[in-house]
Amino acid sequence: MTRIPRPTAEEMIRKTFARFTDDEIIPKAREMDEAGKFPRWMFEKIAKTGAYAMRYPRKIGGAGGNTTQFCIMVEELARGSMSVAAFTAMQCLMGTNFLYQYGTKDHHERLLKPALRGEKVASFALTEADAATDLGGAKTMAVRDGDHWLINGSKTWITNAPVADFFTVLCQTDKTQGLKGLNFFLIERETPGLYVSKKFEKLGTRATEIAELAFSDVRIPLENRLGQDGQGVGNLMRILAVIRTMTAALSIGLARAAFECSKRYSLERTQFKKRIGSFQLIQQKIANMATEIWGANLMTYKAAEMIDRGERALKEASMAKYFASETACRASDEATRIYGAYSYSMEYDVQRFYRDCRFLLFGGGTSEILQTIISREEGVY
Amino acid sequence: MKLVVLIKQIPNTSNVRIDPKTGNLVREGVTSIMNPEDRHALEAALSIKDHFNAVVDVISMGPPQAIEVICEGLAMGADKGILLTDRAFAGADTWATSTALGNAIRKNGPFDLILAGRQAIDGDTAQIGPQIAEFLGIPQITCVSALELSDGKVVANRIIENGCERIETPLPALVTCLASLNEPRYPTVGRILDSVLESTPIEIWNAADIGVKAQEVGLAGSLTQVLKTFTPKGGRETQYLEGTPSDIASGIVQFFVDRQVRLGE
Ligand SMILES: Cc1cc2nc3c(=O)[nH]c(=O)nc-3n(C[C@H](O)[C@H](O)[C@H](O)COP(=O)(O)OP(=O)(O)OC[C@H]3O[C@@H](n4cnc5c(N)ncnc54)[C@H](O)[C@@H]3O)c2cc1C
Ligand SMILES: Cc1cc2nc3c(=O)[nH]c(=O)nc-3n(C[C@H](O)[C@H](O)[C@H](O)COP(=O)(O)OP(=O)(O)OC[C@H]3O[C@@H](n4cnc5c(N)ncnc54)[C@H](O)[C@@H]3O)c2cc1C
Repeated sequence: MTRIPRPTAEEMIRKTFARFTDDEIIPKAREMDEAGKFPRWMFEKIAKTGAYAMRYPRKIGGAGGNTTQFCIMVEELARGSMSVAAFTAMQCLMGTNFLYQYGTKDHHERLLKPALRGEKVASFALTEADAATDLGGAKTMAVRDGDHWLINGSKTWITNAPVADFFTVLCQTDKTQGLKGLNFFLIERETPGLYVSKKFEKLGTRATEIAELAFSDVRIPLENRLGQDGQGVGNLMRILAVIRTMTAALSIGLARAAFECSKRYSLERTQFKKRIGSFQLIQQKIANMATEIWGANLMTYKAAEMIDRGERALKEASMAKYFASETACRASDEATRIYGAYSYSMEYDVQRFYRDCRFLLFGGGTSEILQTIISREEGVY
Repeated sequence: MKLVVLIKQIPNTSNVRIDPKTGNLVREGVTSIMNPEDRHALEAALSIKDHFNAVVDVISMGPPQAIEVICEGLAMGADKGILLTDRAFAGADTWATSTALGNAIRKNGPFDLILAGRQAIDGDTAQIGPQIAEFLGIPQITCVSALELSDGKVVANRIIENGCERIETPLPALVTCLASLNEPRYPTVGRILDSVLESTPIEIWNAADIGVKAQEVGLAGSLTQVLKTFTPKGGRETQYLEGTPSDIASGIVQFFVDRQVRLGE
């Protein structure tokens, strides 16, 4: 029998999620943004594609995919809606990673497997009022009390908080230890003493809900510490390159959306009896967008490839996230210039790209801290 | 229960152009997709599989790269794929296409139901389903918008102009499916990753494998030959009726009468 090469998994993932984005997300993106609510129906629709299980092994109900495939998937989703891509990424990665790596069999059965099927919503809480870029400033305390941990403190800017079923929360167990005293804990929503604020009113990614968490004598079992004592920051570092590369992929998706709109409008809109795309200054914007997106693409998928080979790739992932998120911001800025006044109208999508891109600058490390890290990796600090 | 689904790979015609000079499709930069109605046919088979103990095979005839739609079929949930590919199949008209597909279905063994799309959006003839049913000597229901299976028979709603027929026929049978039949599922990530592995069964058959001679299929086995393809000169004429409203109204009526257009009963 003749052998015929099959398409690659990457091509198939790209095509499937591109079609999903075009047919399911784009027609609803504005509506979801305007509603400003977590679109559970969309969360469930994505669940049916098995997306949330992408990164995990088959034995726990995962698909066994790699970082490259994961990035392709979220890039395509981000092209349609940054909100949708952001909660998908949360469910696939930050919200479930620690439970998978360090949770018990019971955690896996009761929470992780349902989360991978989209029956439970996951969330991840690092940031505090005074501990954001500087995680070492975390004040939320976990104190051992007999056969329980007692948690007190608060978290802010927590994606999915209003709708999540469980949280992976970074807490301090020993103030004298600084970063070494930080550990992750699993806290389920129904646990007494856990309070969720009302959702924030925010500029962009309006279809993801964000809120504060407050912990007042929250009592959880000992096995809810996820990971060995003192390994919290170390374990976070293990997936930091993936988080940054994934955020770079989200950025490419948004940049492409802004770019496609810009191209279309440049060919449609006429002034001085000419298509505006015939003006060299508009062509310059198109050329720069195309070039930067190409660069971001090469950096991001190179970093993903390194991660898939088992390399650390922290510098490359930081560079990719820094370059790609700035590319997304520049591309949506240029798109608004090309659209002129119409970019200021809520009836066109470019205003949404312009608002949503700002999110990319903060999650996964700000551009400033990434530059600090890149320089340190280069030996200058 | 054994279900066979026919899927065709087609150029994504939402972005196809015809070269005005040569009259050919401009294939450059055009992606290939599974014919949309075939996705509905496959969904119908998979939802039968969800409820009964069924095995679903997908079959496609096309160039080697059509293996992609077979993989997509497997990623949606089919159990086995068969790709008919051979230079001898090239240039087939619908007769030669259904000869090849009919022989392949026969070779694949006993089946209960064959599901096809009503129509491929590139070739557009809607002949393949009916021709294969004739070839195999089994009953067919075309243009199906609802489908039920129960002990040895299929009951389907068949959309016709101004209405719907409800038809029952014993199995084995063939149905051609409309988009209104269902909402196709997306491939799942896990199944996508499996579909590209050599361990997932896809059989590749050529003319000899299905027991046909080269002159029975492809261009040689075709009963029709395309002499020329061209884009019709799309000159539409606009005629303005002038005068009083009643002059204009009778002008419109006369227009229909002249052209023997029958207005509603
Ligand atoms: C939409 C959205 C969703 C979020 N979701 C989550 C979530 O789910 N979970 C979670 O834990 N957090 C979440 N966050 C919080 C996010 O992780 C923080 O915004 C991020 O850590 C940066 O913190 P900050 O915005 O408070 O900035 P700060 O850390 O207060 O920084 C302020 C400014 O100072 C600069 N700066 C700080 N330190 C340095 C330095 N050493 N050198 C140079 N410049 C410096 C920064 O670059 C920035 O320009 C989310 C934020 C947003 C906007
Ligand atoms: C190079 C070339 C030359 C051709 N020459 C001629 C010619 O000379 N005369 C002529 O009449 N036609 C010719 N054709 C058209 C060709 O015969 C038709 O594309 C083909 O027979 C299918 O018909 P259709 O596309 O109208 O499918 P339809 O009958 O509209 O399709 C209905 C359903 O049948 C199934 N189906 C159709 N094709 C396939 C397939 N290949 N594999 C699996 N399932 C399938 C699908 O389920 C589909 O939804 C030519 C095509 C090519 C590419």
